[in-house]
Amino acid sequence: MNYKTDFPIFQERPDLIYFDNGATAQKPQAVIEAEQKFYTTSNSNIHRGPHFLAEEATILYEDAKRTVADFIGAEKQEEVIFTKNATEAVNLVAHSFGQSLSEGDVVILSKLEHHANIVPWLQLKEQKGIELRYFEISENGIEFDPNLIDDRVKLVSVSGMSNTLGTITDLPPIIKATHAAGAKVLVDAAQLAVHQPINVHQLDADFLVFTGHKLYGPTGIGALYGKEELLGRMPPFLGGGDMIEEVLLDGFTPAEPPRKFEAGTPPIAQAIGLKAAIDYVIGIGFPKIHKIEHELTGYLLDKLNSLPFIKIIGPKKNKNRGSLVSFVMEGVHTHDIAEGLSQQNICIRAGHHCTQPLMDHFGIPGTARISLSFYNTKEEIDKCTELLKEVYNYFH
Amino acid sequence: MNLYAQNILDRYKEPFYKDKKVKADLMAKEANLSCGDKLEVQMELKDGKIKTYSFTGVGCAISQASADILGDLVIGRTIDDVLNMTKDELLEALGIDISERRMKCALLGLVAIQKAIKQVTK
Repeated sequence: MNYKTDFPIFQERPDLIYFDNGATAQKPQAVIEAEQKFYTTSNSNIHRGPHFLAEEATILYEDAKRTVADFIGAEKQEEVIFTKNATEAVNLVAHSFGQSLSEGDVVILSKLEHHANIVPWLQLKEQKGIELRYFEISENGIEFDPNLIDDRVKLVSVSGMSNTLGTITDLPPIIKATHAAGAKVLVDAAQLAVHQPINVHQLDADFLVFTGHKLYGPTGIGALYGKEELLGRMPPFLGGGDMIEEVLLDGFTPAEPPRKFEAGTPPIAQAIGLKAAIDYVIGIGFPKIHKIEHELTGYLLDKLNSLPFIKIIGPKKNKNRGSLVSFVMEGVHTHDIAEGLSQQNICIRAGHHCTQPLMDHFGIPGTARISLSFYNTKEEIDKCTELLKEVYNYFH
Repeated sequence: MNLYAQNILDRYKEPFYKDKKVKADLMAKEANLSCGDKLEVQMELKDGKIKTYSFTGVGCAISQASADILGDLVIGRTIDDVLNMTKDELLEALGIDISERRMKCALLGLVAIQKAIKQVTK
């Protein structure tokens, strides 16, 4: 099954071998069309307009919310807030939920977190004097240590899947221990949501974030899930139109969630595009997607493991990991690897992947990263493997 | 595979000025954290001119080769002259087109050298 035919960019650029899906995914025609159709047929601002076009647009936007809620297993779409990306979603929690934290309260992260799930907490630390603790990590991902969780801990915020190691976090024990201590959990599902089904109720996550553009959807749209009672207690994030009930010269009353947290005109067209992306993914189904990606990952790992000058940073085996593999090459800088592949139409990522603490932990400046999707193929992996040999030989 | 121009590869593999012991009248560090390129440059001055140059560092072929080729360009020149050196002069000396995405790598050495000079001319 050649999924590339669903994606216009592969028709435009038939030689493109796109292995940078962890950074962003390509867009199926259905998503591009959905956004375009909104602009050509129903474009209007939402919620406040007292005309038929506004109603049409509002219905489309709320439908998109409903789709996202269903996608992550949230019962109420009021528990879903649209943001511009996962980074903004984390910032929303750090800012708003963070208001309830005081000096000496503890937030636990891990050393493999993306900067989006570190920097907002560092900012909160500067602002409020909270303490940050970090779960240690290994090449197998987060090393959960329940001893870090004491009664000073208010929030544990961890990645569902590492964007550098590719490891999938065993979330249930972390969530269970966190709740037992009376603290809340945020799951960063930016990578995880693309490769595995998520159910916030089964997880009992308090907060969950993901982003649209990694999920074959448009850029500029992300989502925050938050339990109703938490969102109800949190102060607003950004201020402006739509998130208010009443505005006077000397004060305002905020709206109820989710609108409390959606200030200004939201990314309407992008939300509709995201719905189309989710519909597309569900149309194929995660069992199928997982089967393809798992097989491709196994194939890639075999190829990389067979090259003596390549070292995989992360699990060497195809277990408890997603379709994302970081590696280094003996005596060759990661940037030069990426350049060598780029000159032959292969897109990979090189550098610290916004995980500098992880790189510091492993004592390396960066890795080369191949992140696969169900539209990649074994032939592409073969070509990449040959080129990696050529790059190595060029420098030796 | 013809990844880079021959001179870049040559100077990366066999640099002239790397890890040499130099009396460091001028010194500066510069890094390109997003790529993982790091450089430290050292220069000895005599009569306001750069007498010797050396660098240490780790990084991609372009950043390291460029740092090495800079040695050819700066030795014998006054520090004012080097302070006013433009990126175009360096790019011409590299002899190849540097794409936008590699520009920071190519210029890292120049930024470091000019930073070192600014520290004494302030």
